[in-house]
Amino acid sequence: MKRAAILWRVASVLVAAGFIAAWQLIANLKLVSPVFLPGPDRAWAALVRGFSSGDLAGKLIGTLEHMAYGWFAASIAGIGLGALIGSSKMMRAYVAPSLEFLRPLPVSAIIPVAIAMLGLTQGMALFVIAFGAIWPIMLATIHGFAAVEPRLYEVARSLQMSRAAIIAKIALPSALPDILAGMRLSLTVALILSVVCEILAGLDGLGHWVLLSARAFRSADLFAGVILLGATGYVTSIAMSLLEQRLLAWQAAAR
Amino acid sequence: MSVVARLDEARAARRQKTLIAFNAATLRLGGKTIIENLDLQVRPGEFLCIVGASGCGKTTALRLAAGLYRPTSGAVTFDGEPITEPRREVAIVFQDYGKALLPWRTAAGNISLALEASRVPVRERGARIEALLRKVGLPGHADKYPTEMSGGMQQRLQIARCLAQEPSTLLMDEPFGALDAMTRQGLQDEVLSLTQASQTTVVFVTHDLDEAIYLGDRVIGLLPHPGRIGIELDVDLPRPRDQLATREHPEFLRLRRQLFDFIKATEH
Amino acid sequence: MSLDRTKPLLLPLALMLALELWARLTQLQSDSLAPPSAIFAALAAALADLSIPIATRDTLFATFAGLAIGSAIGLALGIALGVSRPLDRLMEVTVEAIRPIPSIALLPIALIALGFGYRMEIVIVAFACVWPMLIMTRSAVRSIEPRLMEVSRALRLSAPQRIAKVVIPAALPRIFVAFRLSAGIALIVAVTVEIAINPIGLGAGIMLAQQALRADLMLAYLVWIGAIGYALNMLLIVAQRRLFGRAALAGDHP
Ligand SMILES: Nc1ncnc2c1ncn2[C@@H]1O[C@H](COP(=O)(O)OP(=O)(O)O)[C@@H](O)[C@H]1O
Ligand SMILES: [Mg+2]
Repeated sequence: MKRAAILWRVASVLVAAGFIAAWQLIANLKLVSPVFLPGPDRAWAALVRGFSSGDLAGKLIGTLEHMAYGWFAASIAGIGLGALIGSSKMMRAYVAPSLEFLRPLPVSAIIPVAIAMLGLTQGMALFVIAFGAIWPIMLATIHGFAAVEPRLYEVARSLQMSRAAIIAKIALPSALPDILAGMRLSLTVALILSVVCEILAGLDGLGHWVLLSARAFRSADLFAGVILLGATGYVTSIAMSLLEQRLLAWQAAAR
Repeated sequence: MSVVARLDEARAARRQKTLIAFNAATLRLGGKTIIENLDLQVRPGEFLCIVGASGCGKTTALRLAAGLYRPTSGAVTFDGEPITEPRREVAIVFQDYGKALLPWRTAAGNISLALEASRVPVRERGARIEALLRKVGLPGHADKYPTEMSGGMQQRLQIARCLAQEPSTLLMDEPFGALDAMTRQGLQDEVLSLTQASQTTVVFVTHDLDEAIYLGDRVIGLLPHPGRIGIELDVDLPRPRDQLATREHPEFLRLRRQLFDFIKATEH
Repeated sequence: MSLDRTKPLLLPLALMLALELWARLTQLQSDSLAPPSAIFAALAAALADLSIPIATRDTLFATFAGLAIGSAIGLALGIALGVSRPLDRLMEVTVEAIRPIPSIALLPIALIALGFGYRMEIVIVAFACVWPMLIMTRSAVRSIEPRLMEVSRALRLSAPQRIAKVVIPAALPRIFVAFRLSAGIALIVAVTVEIAINPIGLGAGIMLAQQALRADLMLAYLVWIGAIGYALNMLLIVAQRRLFGRAALAGDHP
């Protein structure tokens, strides 16, 4: 069973390698102009060159920083506000509908407003990223708090637990699967908004790098940046999965 | 006066006292009267069983005693004080054990919740948890999650969590209703041995007449719409009870017939 | 009952009233804030001079074109991977390598290949729509009652017949949920591309208003974009309810 899984994995890697080979072939035969499409060899060379000169590493760190700060701020504020709203029936009745109304709003539309308020600055970028990333987390937290099994609140009452203990020991752990799903979604939002803000405000990061490379028609550098952005998305989502597995071990036990 | 006579007298005196009292208690929920003018006394140390058709208000009466509901009029008291909130010395075992346990905590963690709530110091918890797990027949299952346990084990775990509160009174709402017959009988005997030794007062709701007579010192039958007392029987069967001997006792059969006729008569 | 209906409206009304009063009392002069009355006046004017309707048409055109292309590709791939377990396993690494690329990262590539305008925006929107459609269609197809697949095999349906008569109808409610989510993503990506770089549509409109320091017009665009997002979502929810009943909506909360 286990061996079959490994063999499938190997076959799957080979298929991916086949696609890369096809890409190389298309580039070599110049089916697409090299101005637009570098081969994987040139993209890889650009990646290595970028890292050895230190330029690309700096840009990567810049993007990771934007993403991380905005996402952390959004997580803390989103869980806090979500818990506040979700744990009170009154807040849910008055506030939650407005939030649901705002849910389908394309969050990037807040960028011009943020620019008007804060200028083309780092602060503007952090505000936009945090503002965009807070919604999935906050809404998931509200939903998670509202969906706590009522019987558990009765158990808590009959144990005379304090309000703080009920939130910490009953509501938060019960809502945790929802909260983590929201945080995962926010991670993607944070990455996208980081790139957009870097493009618009010229902040140090991969977004700026790919834009400059495109303007100068340095397609190999451009692809190196895009590959790094893909890797960033991949690695952060893997990290999130590990965190989920860790924190939700009890759910795996149910299966 | 002989020692035996004096003991009998003490028992008689205790019988007169009441621990939980419903005094003309009425409860309306959502414009519907669910319990009306209920008068009911629970004596300290007794095992009281409540039976009645489904929907007649058994759970609601128990929730009043637990302080999870407040009566619309009349009073429900514990030791003479009105019950307005749940109290530590009263523990409630819910029927739906699957919903009443924290799925993200292990067996030990679930018991720990009660110890945390009564501020038991961390270093004492481990030993207490282990003792409780042994008491309910779950030694060695400390690290299992509820979802990894059978229904009977989950209900044992819930009982252990209630015992961790060190309650003087245990309220049980059809605790074995969802379990198979064998598991059920085992748990009946365990609950008896756990509570008789410590003189714990038990109010036990069930719709199983045999179970009520087998366990109880007294059985009360409720009438529906709205809930009120329809019959009250003293069970003078010798203790300790025995699954075979007790159930074949002539008195058991007589009480069973009486209770059966009562329930039959209410089903119109 | 009537109070329950007004409750949700109280907060936004109170906020608007507070903003209006505060703006009037302080005689607000700001590049980023404007009283609600001015915002609605600017909205009315921009609707009347057709600048917002034209921008809306541009944005929605790119949104729907990208959505159509992207979800068609996602649907086809999702069905293929859902029906054939071996194919799914073979493509796993490839899919997992491309999926995490943020759609907006393709913007510079699309820009040099296609230049400004509809085409590059449509390509990026389509790329973004492929993934939710692929992932959700795949899992919808995979969770089709196995008995149904056995029946279709017993009836000796050909593979295309099986897909057209059993797989798609059985998975359709969940595929529609995926389509609804993709539509939301399509609009978000379209507006984002316009804000970042593409000089057409609502995104460009709001950027221009900001650069002209017209806070009222900028916020009018913001309100309008929000309304479009809300309307699109509502429309699809109503369609979903009509087509598949209430049951289809259950369980698609995040
Ligand atoms: N929260 C509530 N609101 C309205 N009616 C209720 C509520 N809880 C229970 N009831 C009604 O009260 C009656 C008694 O319920 P319950 O005490 O659960 O009965 P039992 O436990 O004897 O089956 C039932 O008819 C039930 O529908
Ligand atoms: Mg009941």
